[in-house]
Amino acid sequence: MRYRKERLDRGIKARCEDIFALSSWREILYLLLPRAVPVLGLLVFPLLKGVVGLYWEKVLVITCAIGLLALSWDLMASVGLVSLGQALFFGAGAYIAGALNQAFGLSPLITIPMGTLGGALFCTLLLFPVLRLRGVYFAIVTLILPLLFGRVIETTKVLGGTEGMSGLSPLPGIWFELYVPVVALLIALFGFRRLINEDYGLVLQGIRDNDRAVMSGAINIYKFKAQAVFMAGVVGAFSGAFMTHYYQFVGIPAFALDYSILPLTCAVLGGVGSFAGPTLGAFILVPLSEVLRAFGTLRVVFYSAILIICVVGLPEGVFHYIQRKYHQFERLVEVE
Amino acid sequence: MKLFWRVVGRWFLVILALFLLFAGISAAEEPIVIGVPTALGSIEGRDGWMAIQMAVEEINAKGGVLVGGKRRPLKAYSIDTREHEPGIPVHDALTAVEKLILEKKPHAIVLGAFRSEILLASMDLIAKYKLPYICSIAMTPVFQKKILQNYDQYKYMFRNCLNAVYLVKYLGQVMGFIGKEFGFNRAYLIVQDTLWAKATGKGLQKWYEKNGWRVVGFDAYPLGATDFSSSLIKVRAKKAQVVVPIFDMPQSGILLKQARSMKVPALLCGFISPVAPENAWQVFEGEVEGMVNFIFEIGPLPVKAVPKSVAFNRNFGKRWGEEARVRLSGHGPGPTYDAVYIMADAIERAGSLDPDAIVKALEKTDMMGVVGRIRFGKDHQAVYGLDPKEAAIGCAFQWKKPGVRVPVFPEIVAEGKIELPPYMK
Amino acid sequence: MIASIIVYGLVNSAILALIAIGFSLTFGISGVANFAYGGFYLFSGYLTWMLLKYLGLPFGLAIPIAVLATGLLGFLTYWVILLRVRGIVLSEVIATFALGVGMLEFFRWKGFVTYEFTLPYFAKGTVMIAGVPLDYQRLIIIGIGLALVLFLCLFTHHTRIGLSFRGIAQNERTAISLGIESDWTAALSLALGSALAAVAAIAILPLGIISINVGYDVLLIAVAVGIIGGLESVAGILVGSLILGYAQVITGMYLAPEWTMVVYLAAIVVVLAIKPSGLFGKFKELEERV
Repeated sequence: MRYRKERLDRGIKARCEDIFALSSWREILYLLLPRAVPVLGLLVFPLLKGVVGLYWEKVLVITCAIGLLALSWDLMASVGLVSLGQALFFGAGAYIAGALNQAFGLSPLITIPMGTLGGALFCTLLLFPVLRLRGVYFAIVTLILPLLFGRVIETTKVLGGTEGMSGLSPLPGIWFELYVPVVALLIALFGFRRLINEDYGLVLQGIRDNDRAVMSGAINIYKFKAQAVFMAGVVGAFSGAFMTHYYQFVGIPAFALDYSILPLTCAVLGGVGSFAGPTLGAFILVPLSEVLRAFGTLRVVFYSAILIICVVGLPEGVFHYIQRKYHQFERLVEVE
Repeated sequence: MKLFWRVVGRWFLVILALFLLFAGISAAEEPIVIGVPTALGSIEGRDGWMAIQMAVEEINAKGGVLVGGKRRPLKAYSIDTREHEPGIPVHDALTAVEKLILEKKPHAIVLGAFRSEILLASMDLIAKYKLPYICSIAMTPVFQKKILQNYDQYKYMFRNCLNAVYLVKYLGQVMGFIGKEFGFNRAYLIVQDTLWAKATGKGLQKWYEKNGWRVVGFDAYPLGATDFSSSLIKVRAKKAQVVVPIFDMPQSGILLKQARSMKVPALLCGFISPVAPENAWQVFEGEVEGMVNFIFEIGPLPVKAVPKSVAFNRNFGKRWGEEARVRLSGHGPGPTYDAVYIMADAIERAGSLDPDAIVKALEKTDMMGVVGRIRFGKDHQAVYGLDPKEAAIGCAFQWKKPGVRVPVFPEIVAEGKIELPPYMK
Repeated sequence: MIASIIVYGLVNSAILALIAIGFSLTFGISGVANFAYGGFYLFSGYLTWMLLKYLGLPFGLAIPIAVLATGLLGFLTYWVILLRVRGIVLSEVIATFALGVGMLEFFRWKGFVTYEFTLPYFAKGTVMIAGVPLDYQRLIIIGIGLALVLFLCLFTHHTRIGLSFRGIAQNERTAISLGIESDWTAALSLALGSALAAVAAIAILPLGIISINVGYDVLLIAVAVGIIGGLESVAGILVGSLILGYAQVITGMYLAPEWTMVVYLAAIVVVLAIKPSGLFGKFKELEERV
């Protein structure tokens, strides 16, 4: 008696193709719930701050910041640019916002958007010469660039040098603090998902799969790559600029390796390519790391172990796994 | 192997789900809670935490702290901010501090920040929670400036360890002695690229210029640097007679090793943290001979003129073992031990746990501790001086054969004089 | 001063070359990514330290044991981790990088961070070269560096195993069809590279202390030397390390010591932007950029 595993779409999934999705409440909910529940949950969570305590609300903010970085990583990965240095975006946005605030005294409502755009522009221009590189070489450059900037700031003592700039203006109000990152995360998540499904996104995925083929279709892949980097940069730099004002401090640690490894781990854990995956990964890893704070440096050992296990043993990521289970079921079938 | 990894992947998801069901921990009620958020991985943090536990045990053994008619025990909780590691984001450290405050609800904080940058960044956080705070490691003088500028907000913070300004004063006096005794007048400064070390270096440079010395070089090395040969080559080329290292990172021991192996003919006089503890002679196999190193606050170095420091040193060995005692770092354990007593004393004098009352009582502190006599100035910095009966003291010592640390400064507590190391004779 | 620069520049170059050899062997010559290099480097250092301190073994016995153990660790890393992602270079890089970071942070957690962690010198004493004092340890390092580079050159060009290392990097299918077992060869190259890392660690660590940052720096140095010189060529390691070594010493002397760390980071970025294959690398235009 030998068996093989068979995977079939669930009945409700088969019924939900095309416009039949609107034929009953059950079908509508089947499609709507996986999207609506997290969104509503995220929007309602800040309101519970009396119940859950301020500490976990702070964890929510950090989770959203890391989630934004993970989303920007994923967008770049969807074009085929695997970066080991998201900290570059984070740090660029953080420093521009911080410098504007300290030098000109502009309020956070101005410095954050300017930091976002300025940081994205800066990173795109910086990465422009190396967009031609493929694979490992691009990864190495992105690994080195944040470290380089950190060292340069340290040695030239500009922008606050080793001590950084402290005492920057705080954010206006607790609701601003809690809701802005959440809303930004949701916009980025659903925006990117929509983008990747449009024609524009198809070109991006084509570049990832076979760039020479796309080139031979008379499409300028550098333009698309640069635009993708810019969009990823906007999201990443926003995260940096926001956190600068959240902590009222910016310094060399804005370029730390932590900000590169953690989004990478979230994305790999959650599932590369599906933007919901990195978000899910962020919501698992960041609270986990807070819970594990008692273990000190052992946390990083955990991240590394998770990263290795996911890259080697679970390459599809948690999100794809969950998605597959939601849409399909498996059963053992006898082999004749 | 493939199946193995798949199984691991699946089980990992299960374990992950289980992990996520764990919640935080709750706070304590009856005892007076002392919070200790610091870099537990650094030697100063590690020794400070051990000193705090020792002090807490001693006070509890005597019955605890008398508050409003009741005797309540002390309980100390620590959290590791990892701030001594290069590249740790400031917000990471601050989050750890806030987690300790929100979960354990301490009534006071002792030991405090390790890095000056973290200390300054956490001032607003402490002001928000109104916690009496005694710092015993970070040394930047900017701390006092901020307290004076904004007293009402930052009045909860105090510091009872040495700060960069006092260190410069001490260094200046030692240099004056060296200049008179040996006729030296060319110095080379090699400092660590952190707030307190650079401030010390710049202050010392000013002293040198006012007192007829020539500063032939001033190099700053970032945290984690391991190669100091470029500076040492220049020391040799410019014929500097005194090299002043100011470091607290463990890699600074390499500076000493390189100076010896490159046979640099200059007197080393400053602060290299690995050279301060008692076991440095064995660790460096005698190469530390002749170096004049500072102990920022006595205690790790027992000074016969201050019996409490001798007692602290002995009790530390009894409580934590001989190996821990000979590893006591040169900065932190003494004042940290005192800080617990200072806080307990202030709470008793205030008669309540109200932060503002404790702050007023702290400002009037006048007691004898391990470091000498403890009093705070208007800027909430403990006063350091040259006479342990009037103020707290740090001291400079010189390593001499057969492996002894001989205190050489201040004169009142000195047990020997500075001599030229054998390689310079 | 000039004599000092020449001598210390040579010492620095030898140190960089020694560090880069193991990494170049696996990544450059055999095409197997091993970004856990820093972790292995420190692992061998700590192992030697523990053997010397806790087991009291004599130095002559501890060294071979540590080198073999690190080689074994490299070998196992291939079979356990790299086997499943072989060929997907990026996954290899990420997985081994995570392994390296995990090992380093594990050592940090165990508390291996104070100055007590040092390895003893091979020989004590100083010799004067052109008025510049040079201690025996550094002289030995120069010797070992030269010897290993020479060994690498001969090994990869004239022995069967060395040639098969290069073979699996050039074209894996052809190598397999010629009877070269790709997996075993790759595992062997990883083992040899890790063993070389151990040799470098034991020779270089006595100069300072075994600290965690060294682990991170070592990886960056190895990558820098490899990229500047060209990943697959042995002459590239030599030239790359000379260029970097002297650049570091000169900036340290004439600019400021802080700039030495910036030098090799900037060098990597510049070289990758202009000529990714480095000075001596074969010009694999289509492989590395579009």
